[in-house]
Amino acid sequence: MSASATTDSHAVQATHDDHGHGKKGLMHYLWNTDHKMIAMQFLVSAVFFLLIGGAMAVAMRWQLAFPGHPIPVIGHFLPSGIVNDEGAIMPSGYNVLVTMHGTILVFFVAMPLLIGVFGNFLIPLKIGAGDMAFPALNELSYWLFALSGVVMMASFWVPGGAPGTGWTAYAPLSSVAAYNQTPLGQTLWCTALFINGLSSLTGAVNYITTVITMRAPGMTMFRMPLPVWAIFLTAILLILAIPVLSAAAALIIFDLNLGTSFYRPAGAGQPLLWQHLFWFFGHPEVYILILPAMGLTSEILSVNSRKPVFGYKAMVWAMIAIGFLGFIVWGHHMYVSGMNLTLSAAFSVSTMVIAVPSAIKTFNWMGTIWRGSIHYTVPMAFSVAFVSMFVIGGLSGIFMASTPVDLFVHHTYFIVAHFHYVLFGGSMFAIFAAVYFWFPKMTGRMFNNTLGWIHFWMTFVFFNLTFFPMHNLGLGGMMRRIADPTVYDCLRQLQPLNVVCTIGAIGLGLATIPFVVNLLISLRKAPDAPANPWNSTTLEWTLSHPIQHGNFAVTPTVYHGPYEYSVPGLAKDFLPQNEKAPAHVTLEAH
Amino acid sequence: MGMLLVPFLVASSATAEQRSGNVYLLPPCVTTVGEQIDSLITMIFWLCAVIFVATQATYIYYLIKYRRRPGVPAHYSHGNNTLEVIWTTAPTLVFLALAIYGNRVWENIHRAAPENSLVVDVSGYQFGWDMRYPGVSGKLAPMDVRKISPENRFGTDPGNPLTSQDVISNELVIPVGRPVHLLLHARDVIHSFYVPEFRLYQDCVPGRTIGWVWFQATRTGDFQLACNQLCGTGHYNMKAPIRVVTEEEFQKWLVSRQQKNAGVAQPAAAIQAKAASLTGAAAKNTL
Repeated sequence: MSASATTDSHAVQATHDDHGHGKKGLMHYLWNTDHKMIAMQFLVSAVFFLLIGGAMAVAMRWQLAFPGHPIPVIGHFLPSGIVNDEGAIMPSGYNVLVTMHGTILVFFVAMPLLIGVFGNFLIPLKIGAGDMAFPALNELSYWLFALSGVVMMASFWVPGGAPGTGWTAYAPLSSVAAYNQTPLGQTLWCTALFINGLSSLTGAVNYITTVITMRAPGMTMFRMPLPVWAIFLTAILLILAIPVLSAAAALIIFDLNLGTSFYRPAGAGQPLLWQHLFWFFGHPEVYILILPAMGLTSEILSVNSRKPVFGYKAMVWAMIAIGFLGFIVWGHHMYVSGMNLTLSAAFSVSTMVIAVPSAIKTFNWMGTIWRGSIHYTVPMAFSVAFVSMFVIGGLSGIFMASTPVDLFVHHTYFIVAHFHYVLFGGSMFAIFAAVYFWFPKMTGRMFNNTLGWIHFWMTFVFFNLTFFPMHNLGLGGMMRRIADPTVYDCLRQLQPLNVVCTIGAIGLGLATIPFVVNLLISLRKAPDAPANPWNSTTLEWTLSHPIQHGNFAVTPTVYHGPYEYSVPGLAKDFLPQNEKAPAHVTLEAH
Repeated sequence: MGMLLVPFLVASSATAEQRSGNVYLLPPCVTTVGEQIDSLITMIFWLCAVIFVATQATYIYYLIKYRRRPGVPAHYSHGNNTLEVIWTTAPTLVFLALAIYGNRVWENIHRAAPENSLVVDVSGYQFGWDMRYPGVSGKLAPMDVRKISPENRFGTDPGNPLTSQDVISNELVIPVGRPVHLLLHARDVIHSFYVPEFRLYQDCVPGRTIGWVWFQATRTGDFQLACNQLCGTGHYNMKAPIRVVTEEEFQKWLVSRQQKNAGVAQPAAAIQAKAASLTGAAAKNTL
């Protein structure tokens, strides 16, 4: 395979003069087939959506702590369909926020950041390729993503407003206009997801082809850095899962606009069909959001511990196992949906089993820092925290995996706590770590360390303050997706906990300020970064800024695995992948 | 984990009396099903607590001990296969055991409802609940989900004499100590029957009867039924009162509703006798 990779990568580089670089002005940033620029496009767009989706979350938290009270500051900027004249959230508006917060954070923040930004930026650089296999398709993928974002946000301004049916859009609420009152908004929502799916698919095809055909000579599959493995496997999951969501969303569009009744029982449709299709996509989706985060974290832990990744092959096989098992656990979202009870029992077994590869990864991360020489940098701090937050999110998952416990905690704040520990404490922490870690390579500048540390500590403290008490709210019986918990007698006494969560959420919102400020000022004022500020071994750090279009002047040759740190007998504590080990040094098999 | 938060909550809320007895802020548990679930939660909690403390203590110890120190290089190691086998096998066994044990409880909870159960038809709609109880004959009128409409809320057959006997109520009143078997329906979109004190969640799916939910209350009290499946604008406030009462009170309530329903004044003595016989039957059944 590496033999053919050689010829392919040379061939690709030979054609690297027509990719839009050299264009001047705005078009350089808007239509550019260089994978590095496309990564930047995804980064800017996703951070924009992060601010919108995050503001929605803070607005929701305000409503839950102080139901019916006008929101200070933000209240006046929200559309009239969401808040009343005084700036307080209405119940229907709350449902819209619930829906759009979830949709935006999953499809327009976490996915583009993990896959669009780091997939694009890292895959060619790390495997020694000049670009993606299909550079124009790559840029098309970004513009499909941008279009889907426009269509999604447009739903706020159509008659009826944005949908309020949850990011899970359970039918027949979502599929019958009389029930949801927002047929136009729901149609746009489905259309946006459909287009977004096309973006994911074009991206995934590109990643898979690039990884398989364009690796530099010597870069065998088991010499690939773990982020490349993770995003490669994620791309396979995308190809298998996304079409199911697209088809299911298309059926909602038909039901809403063409008079079909796929999901409406009155027309002999099946409401549970939507849930099966949605979660057949939705559970692999969870792993689509965590696998890249695991890959990025593994690498950052290794570099900053100055130690090889502990159990590299176990890490790869664990990710493959997660990818496979991820397709047979969707029913654990449906234990109490009216699905056959024996099926629930079967899904609980596969769900318990999928916890095993996650446990393997956790133990290997601990093995990686064990007897290391840990450098506490900002990206390392986020990666270290990732492991602990992921452990909490994983352990709380065991409660819900158990069918009888789910009978009680299903759809309570316990699940809200659980998936935020995985998606924020997991995916977002890994994203922050990776943004700081590769910022010098992406921009040629160092970030401001002080602001980075402020961002880390605020995020870490306020994240836990926001989401840890939600475990107790959930076990206390608080339902998710209710606009006002105080209408229930048994929830009124939990209200102080809701206030705590809200204080945390406001702090978490403020924590974004040092992050965004850091990105902006570091781009302009920061000192130039050295080519390899972290003394890292992988190929991207062999290039100095600015990295030319086509990346490598000479295709590098790879001699060994990706994480050769602290090899005994070497003068420096790292051995780049393109440097041969001296004769007197023996590398351990990995 | 929840222990940390208890002092805060107890101090801040004088009404939280019934939650202070446990570490997780669980609401009081008033069903036999709930007791099984609570003990499973406790078991998983301690398992997770042990795993969490053990892994995090080790992790933090490593993070401090192996911080960068001048002159101490990192240990060069790519891993250890024996360790990989151990930490793959051990969690597999623990998690499989948990799944098997959990599913035994699950099966036990969902075994067929006892013969003597009180059958109640519960029907959710945007945005409220209707309950239907058996009339004087002790039998619910048969229904067909396809006949459910705004005019025919329960999908019963108007021609059937049992239909006019059915008792319709907006509150769920149930006797303590007798199994209650629910027939769950939804008229428009998916709703869910959720009562935290019962430890019970079940979606109600339009076009179907969910007939496997039954439970037995262990003490009297007032609770609230909540819809816990996003069902539209009024979802947050889709609730209904629940009263768990003694068998006598329940019979009195049901008979008075049946009487009102029938529109026929029956001699008071006859009602008393009927109530007594029903109570007796119920009491015998609960043994």
